[in-house]
Amino acid sequence: MCIMQESLRSKRVLVTGLGVVSPLGPDAESNRRSLVEGKECVTPVDRFDVSKTRCKTAGQIPDDWLRTAFPPGRASQRLHRGARMAALALREACASASAPSPEVMVVGTTCGGMSYGEIYYRGLLASKSRRGFARLVGNYTPQKPIQDALEANHLRIPTQIISNACSSGSNAIGHGFELVRHGLHECVVCGGYEPLSELVFVGFDSLQAATAEKIRPFDKNRSGLVLGEGAAFLILESENNAANRGVAALAEMVGYGVSTDTYHLTQPHPSGIGPRLAMERALESARLEFGAVDYVNAHGTATIFNDATEGAAISALCDAVPVSSTKSMMGHALGAAGAIEGVFCVLALREQFLPPNLNFTESDPSWRFRVIGNRSRPARLRHVLSNSIGFGGTNATLILKQV
Amino acid sequence: MKFFVQGIGAVSPLGPNGQETWTAICRGQQAPRKLFANSLAGRSYFSCPVPAKFVADAARQPRLRRSGTISLLGAAAGFDAFADAGLKPDTGVTGRIAVVFAICSGGINYTRRFYHEIVTGGANSASPLLFPETVYNAAASHLAALLGVNQQSYTLAGDSSVGLGAIHFAIQLLAMHPELERCLVVGTEEADWLLGDAFACWRMATTRDQFEVYGRPAGTIFGEGAAAILIGRSGQIALQESSAGIPFGSFRQCERAARAAFGRPDPSSLPDFIVSSANGTFADEVERKVFSDAYQSVPVYAPKPAVGEALGAGGLLQIALAGFALRHQELPGTVAPGPNLPSINRLTRSCAASTALVTCVGFSHQVNALKLCIL
Repeated sequence: MCIMQESLRSKRVLVTGLGVVSPLGPDAESNRRSLVEGKECVTPVDRFDVSKTRCKTAGQIPDDWLRTAFPPGRASQRLHRGARMAALALREACASASAPSPEVMVVGTTCGGMSYGEIYYRGLLASKSRRGFARLVGNYTPQKPIQDALEANHLRIPTQIISNACSSGSNAIGHGFELVRHGLHECVVCGGYEPLSELVFVGFDSLQAATAEKIRPFDKNRSGLVLGEGAAFLILESENNAANRGVAALAEMVGYGVSTDTYHLTQPHPSGIGPRLAMERALESARLEFGAVDYVNAHGTATIFNDATEGAAISALCDAVPVSSTKSMMGHALGAAGAIEGVFCVLALREQFLPPNLNFTESDPSWRFRVIGNRSRPARLRHVLSNSIGFGGTNATLILKQV
Repeated sequence: MKFFVQGIGAVSPLGPNGQETWTAICRGQQAPRKLFANSLAGRSYFSCPVPAKFVADAARQPRLRRSGTISLLGAAAGFDAFADAGLKPDTGVTGRIAVVFAICSGGINYTRRFYHEIVTGGANSASPLLFPETVYNAAASHLAALLGVNQQSYTLAGDSSVGLGAIHFAIQLLAMHPELERCLVVGTEEADWLLGDAFACWRMATTRDQFEVYGRPAGTIFGEGAAAILIGRSGQIALQESSAGIPFGSFRQCERAARAAFGRPDPSSLPDFIVSSANGTFADEVERKVFSDAYQSVPVYAPKPAVGEALGAGGLLQIALAGFALRHQELPGTVAPGPNLPSINRLTRSCAASTALVTCVGFSHQVNALKLCIL
């Protein structure tokens, strides 16, 4: 058991490893290539029936990519695809950090193994028998895929699972960052995972937040989001820990800010006060002015309300920062989105490029920032900022720095 | 750096607030059981629901008029914790507060209804009113909005040990953020036949209206309710030791995890009593083994036969009851104790206690423990 008795000191927090599985690719390198090439990876949904929904597309991960997540066998066949995504991304993160020894895992997700719950319920409707249901129940909970992913990577560490809707992934990375920064842990693995689920897909469709068209973040004619899926993890460790292990840093994490927007369960406050507060707190945590930020990876879901709110918030803080939403390429991976976009920010810092904002034609005249547009481009990046905004008014901002 | 319990709140099948719940528990009352029928498969399960009148005040809040039971319960318990601390939750107080929710099943009533609509009527018949309440952090969002909290608001998901993990998370927040004065930790759970049906797949739900603890594990009865602990930087009851939990991957590993989580104190640092998570499942035997080895002489109180297994709320209700026991120097008697643990406390009695251990064996994920100490 941990006893907190001493005052906490601030430490440098380094990103020493990363792993990602997203519709853009099964690993970091393929994701980087897709970002640079501006590849659109939103496809017709084939995992469940979408004949009665307005939206019929999503960013999906082919099952082929997930085959190597676990050793073949009956036991692994029972596991949820969320576990496969998480296991693959975790494996890559641990490998890239040269076999770290994380003390705790902080993970974001919104629905975990929800699709098994859906199969369970359909089964109840179809038959009174409960045959095969134990497997569905056992793998349904948000924690089980993470347990499986840890086990596949020979890790047995405590987990904290944050379910703050669409900001979960950023919250997980941010909390992991604070644990290391304040010396409560030396090494933390943090990120998020989110498999596509019918209930959530239909839920966004019922709210008319999902679009039947292409996803167009920050476009004047945007009409809504499309969903995505994936998993991503970062290994965060203190500078001393990384030096002792002789492992190089990929980036430095310098700031994290959160806020709670007390306005409405599903709509952000139109003034943008929620994301603005989160950004201001992240900048304060990083001891930076907004002018030092070279790129904003926006939440940018392409819904009317989200982009208006986030646009107002970014505009209030800066004049001409380049902004893009990588959701335009792969959809919105909800609880994993912040983690995936955190990895994208590290890749952008490493390779010095601005990821694109696809399907963009015309900006809203009230915004003062520059939407990057349909092609990635080289840029000098020192600090990048990533926003996440979730149902329930949860807002989170991460700031990363080049090393 | 020390953190303290400043306020204890609860709403349970036995009472609309923490104090009334405590009084009923000390009288040896058992929550009334209600039969939940599963119309789809023809199976029925008993549950311990919270009477609607217990959350009437919360239900009158305009923000909560369409919300699920889980949010009403969470709000009621949260406000009760403020009242218990003698604090009015106005902006002068709530501007420096974080909120942490512990969730296990989430808004399961609305989730089931929403999915039923999709499956039976097609995706185009799904109600946009139900979906937002199915999101895990809906309850936290509602309470944060009612309190006017614009700082950290986190919802943690997990198994029935998540409440203890949420306390640890809150302690981390307070340790890392000196600008925060307090953190309100709330665990909440609503009853639904689907829970009983799902847990029955693992033989963890009984179809009877009673279950005993530390006897033959025949399954549990689900309860509902919420408990809230307001943590601050001063107070009478200190949170001495907490952890994020010890994971286990299988039932076999669970005992080892419990030994690691509960610790093996030397005789001079044994707690004066234990509030355990025994619920009529495999968890009882795990706890029994560890208590018999490392805490042989320490009396154990198990509240779940009285109020039901309220999963996300269960751990925090245990902490709430441990807090009341320390405050009132009284240890409740366990309703329906089985024969396997001699140290179980059978009748309510006064006790000179300064330390308490709260233990929690989650059903699938982690084991955790928390030590409280009255100054």
